[in-house]
Amino acid sequence: MTDFTNENKMLYDAMVAYKVPGITEAVDKARKAGMPATAVIDGLSAGMTQVGVLFERGKLFLPHVLSAAAGMKKAMEVLEPELLKNGQGAAKKESVVMGTVEGDVHDIGKSICSTMLQCAGFEVHDLGRDVPKQSFIDEVRKGCKFCGMSALMTTTMTVQRDVIGMLKDAGLRDRVVVMVGGAPVTQSYADKIGADVYGESASETVARVKDL
Amino acid sequence: MAAKEFYTRMGDGHRVAMTKEQIMADLQAGSADAADMGGIKALDSNDIEALCDIVCDSNRVVGVRPGMEVPLTYDIGQLDFTGDNGNSGNGVDMGRLEGALLHERALGADTFELAHSDYSIKPVKPIISMEMQTMEEVQNEIVIPYFYGAMPNMGLYYAPDGPYGNPADLMREFKIEEAMGEAEKSAAHLARDIEYVATKIYDAGADGFDFDTTGAAGDADFVGTLNGVEALRRRCPDAYINVGAAGESVMGIHGSIEYRGEVAAGLYPHQQCKLAAKAGANVFGAVVNTNSSKSLSWNLARAVTFVKACTAASPIPVHVNMGMGVGGIPMFETAPIDAVTRCSKAMVEIARVDGV
Repeated sequence: MTDFTNENKMLYDAMVAYKVPGITEAVDKARKAGMPATAVIDGLSAGMTQVGVLFERGKLFLPHVLSAAAGMKKAMEVLEPELLKNGQGAAKKESVVMGTVEGDVHDIGKSICSTMLQCAGFEVHDLGRDVPKQSFIDEVRKGCKFCGMSALMTTTMTVQRDVIGMLKDAGLRDRVVVMVGGAPVTQSYADKIGADVYGESASETVARVKDL
Repeated sequence: MAAKEFYTRMGDGHRVAMTKEQIMADLQAGSADAADMGGIKALDSNDIEALCDIVCDSNRVVGVRPGMEVPLTYDIGQLDFTGDNGNSGNGVDMGRLEGALLHERALGADTFELAHSDYSIKPVKPIISMEMQTMEEVQNEIVIPYFYGAMPNMGLYYAPDGPYGNPADLMREFKIEEAMGEAEKSAAHLARDIEYVATKIYDAGADGFDFDTTGAAGDADFVGTLNGVEALRRRCPDAYINVGAAGESVMGIHGSIEYRGEVAAGLYPHQQCKLAAKAGANVFGAVVNTNSSKSLSWNLARAVTFVKACTAASPIPVHVNMGMGVGGIPMFETAPIDAVTRCSKAMVEIARVDGV
């Protein structure tokens, strides 16, 4: 069995350096060395995980994470034909609806969380801010498996509870993972309103969702 | 015999009982976390012991030792009375003059500020003449230094509220360069608006300006505000300027924008204060966020570690931000008095802040 230690390190380092051309070059070299597509993806994924750790620790920032994700996307385009040929086509992405609840115009925390979810491989439907309750229900009805709601004010966090109630009334609660977050929201509040996931930060939320 | 337990809090305000050993362990872990994140020194054993004494004090309310009192000021102006729960207020309607005088004469404020209900630089622009009028009126009555306060709030310059593209939306489409460009344009616009609003209000008699939650929209917001402060300092050499932070670390939404050659993203309080001083601020308002899933002890030790490093490094006085979800205080709508007083005492006696 061929030893791909060097190629693995190269892929990992290229991801952590987060430059698209560098990632593409590392993928090309790994392919020329005979590394299977699935192994290339594993090498890149390990690097992407480290990018997430560095983001969490404040050593890398949002554009860097996005750049690494863009490199990953480019690599997948190159690898896709081989994956399909071997019957290993990319798994369908789980879809997530994200939004800041109605009455609340705070945007940035929710947007960071959306971006991190996208980088983690989810298909994100970000509805923005001041999102009507019914819009969350509609997206879940259309097939979103995760529903993320942000609230930055004590007066709007109750809307998260309302939406969970509406999901129950519509018979949709059991088919969706409900995530809540925002400055005044806590684990005990999430438990009280019956949410499934609460994260102190965007990174923690993504980690918890991936663990499900 | 069961170990003695002390009533304390979790970061979400819940009451819990913990042994001294548990409290000590959380104090050490909280301090270690700050040291690790910020690349700063953890608290030494004397400081940890002192913190433990404060947390375990049997009194519900604690205070600093005589002679260690520090200036007390308030942000958000009269809105802490007039606002509803949604913006940390008490729902007591009153005019801005009455709010200012109550803070001065009943609440012991050493400085105070005039604030507009939107509390952001951008919405003040079209009504600046009305704000100038009110500033003049209140200055005729009040004795303590009276500033104008507002958040830079650069998010208001992005779509859908402002003329520039929203970096968060652009980045999700992998338009990274474009997102960075929009952030830079917004920062330049914010700096111009700060100069406009602040010099006008200074002309109306304000003693200075409080820039509250600097960097709330990320590193470009932080840099735009510092550039605005620099311009204000040039125009108003005697103005008293407070730059208060939005969080313990400057969020890297742009990622590489710089102020005077230093990348703003990822800076912690002990680094933020130096840039605020370079821009011309008189006071830096340090912020450390509370983790609602951890104990008061963990959060307090973490906050004190960050702020102690900040006061040691800062060329200007540091007034620490103490309130719901910051400074070790639990994330709870009505911050528990036992936690508020413990955190305040620790910040003064151990972190050596110049004001609260």
